[in-house]
Amino acid sequence: MNRLPLGWRIATNVAAMAVLAFLIAPILAIIPASFNKASFIRLPPAAWSTLWYGRFINDPEWLRALWNSLQLASLATLIAVPVGTLAALGLARSRAAGRLFCSALFIAPMVVPIIVVSVAIYRSALDVSMNGTLLALSLSHAVLALPFVVISVGISLHAVNPAWSLAAAGLGAGPWRIFRTITLPHVMPGMVGGAVFSFMTSFDEAVLTIFLADYSTTTLPVKLWETVRLEFTPVLAVAAVVMTGLSVALFVLVQIVIRQTGDKA
Amino acid sequence: MTDSAAPGRWHRLETGALLAPALLLVILIFMLPLGRFLSLAFTAPGGTFATFQVLSESTVYRRILLNSFVIALVVTLITAALAWPLAYLMARTRGAWFTLMMYGVMFPLWISILVRTFSWMLLLERQGPVNRLIQALGVSQTPLPLLFNNTGVLIGMVHVLLPYMVIPLYGSMSRIDPRLMQASDGLGAGLWQSFRRIWLPLTMPGLAGGATFVFLLSLGFYITPTLLGGRSSTMVATLIVSFITEQFNWPMAAAASIVLLAAVAVLMLVAARFLRVDKGMFAR
Repeated sequence: MNRLPLGWRIATNVAAMAVLAFLIAPILAIIPASFNKASFIRLPPAAWSTLWYGRFINDPEWLRALWNSLQLASLATLIAVPVGTLAALGLARSRAAGRLFCSALFIAPMVVPIIVVSVAIYRSALDVSMNGTLLALSLSHAVLALPFVVISVGISLHAVNPAWSLAAAGLGAGPWRIFRTITLPHVMPGMVGGAVFSFMTSFDEAVLTIFLADYSTTTLPVKLWETVRLEFTPVLAVAAVVMTGLSVALFVLVQIVIRQTGDKA
Repeated sequence: MTDSAAPGRWHRLETGALLAPALLLVILIFMLPLGRFLSLAFTAPGGTFATFQVLSESTVYRRILLNSFVIALVVTLITAALAWPLAYLMARTRGAWFTLMMYGVMFPLWISILVRTFSWMLLLERQGPVNRLIQALGVSQTPLPLLFNNTGVLIGMVHVLLPYMVIPLYGSMSRIDPRLMQASDGLGAGLWQSFRRIWLPLTMPGLAGGATFVFLLSLGFYITPTLLGGRSSTMVATLIVSFITEQFNWPMAAAASIVLLAAVAVLMLVAARFLRVDKGMFAR
């Protein structure tokens, strides 16, 4: 639509840029907020300091929350990736009706509002006295991460030509060898993508964890959630920067993986 | 090839074995707890459907349910209005600018919702930057109450959910054949007429898809309304939690969850219908 009058074109561009700024800028506010020297958050800070980073690092509670988050996200990823990869392989070879039923089941935790999922899992965890345990947390985080792995591996499976497996079988390769030499290398990018999504899903998860975690298994988001309602010190902004820093690092990692697989194709 | 040549039992057994761990995980950790929890709605001492009766008769609960719908609707309308120019520009841009905009839209999705909500708490405070800007511009002499009410909830939710509207809208806009506009131009259609008869109908599927996403996600939102809202702006998720943590009333929590799930299910059915109708329009 090149014939849009100049005035309209300028208006659209300005509006689009404003919306883009609205998407990004507010998130960046946590960075200056974390460098406040005062014991309350002022934007922009009256005096700059890394004081609250020191407080964060020297506070055993924040550190344990960070450690719990990393541990939980790793465990959830270690469960979700193999289970989800097998499921994607199974879906690819099952018949239409079964495929529809199973994929609906795998996607369901994504569709049901997270608050309902959380409360339901919390209730069952209470019933079997497993609330607050790392096992309950990692299994339920794995359920939330599972759809991402199934979808991500499923997409990369589309690239595998079934004729290759047939050719390999015709040349005398066994099923394990076919899997190792043909299927696995092709689903690898999907598995890596699924792993990153799983890790992020678990690391950022707040709602389910608010209910399920107890004092000893509190994660970084839960600690942030609990503290923000008690006090409003710059240490909160430091925690937010730590969480965001990890997200950004993984975002960059994904871009690199995508670029590399793009080169191979 | 021996495996697939004898398809029958062996092949099915293998497929089952591949699916089994995931099915077990989802059924044990998700379906079973969900079923058990929702069934609590029918176990109230007052009778099988007593919980639903309380929900529908109490003015407080009715107002909260209504408030959730109104907020979800307003969030959907605002995101649609904001997403429109951005999606339009993305569909008409190539190269580095496009990449930059795409990253700009996708990036917030990578940041924790809690962090995104927290940053709005910093910005919308009484003495925060937004209020100081408002006073500096002379819009208002005193700081405006932007936090702990529906204003805060709306701003935060629009910010969190905007990417879910931009992406489908961009998807349908980028598929519009530019020759259609040239043709309508050549046939003498005005700007408004071309927009109304070509651009708008062709972007409807994206708009409907985005609106469904945003509306459904809004309905069940917990973190953002709880942190940015006040007592008067309670939404249904907060109600479910308060039934459990404040009243220890699991049947009521389950009943409110069923109402929320039913709304989600109905909306998804409507959306599926609507989107299919739109595909039919495409074919014509």
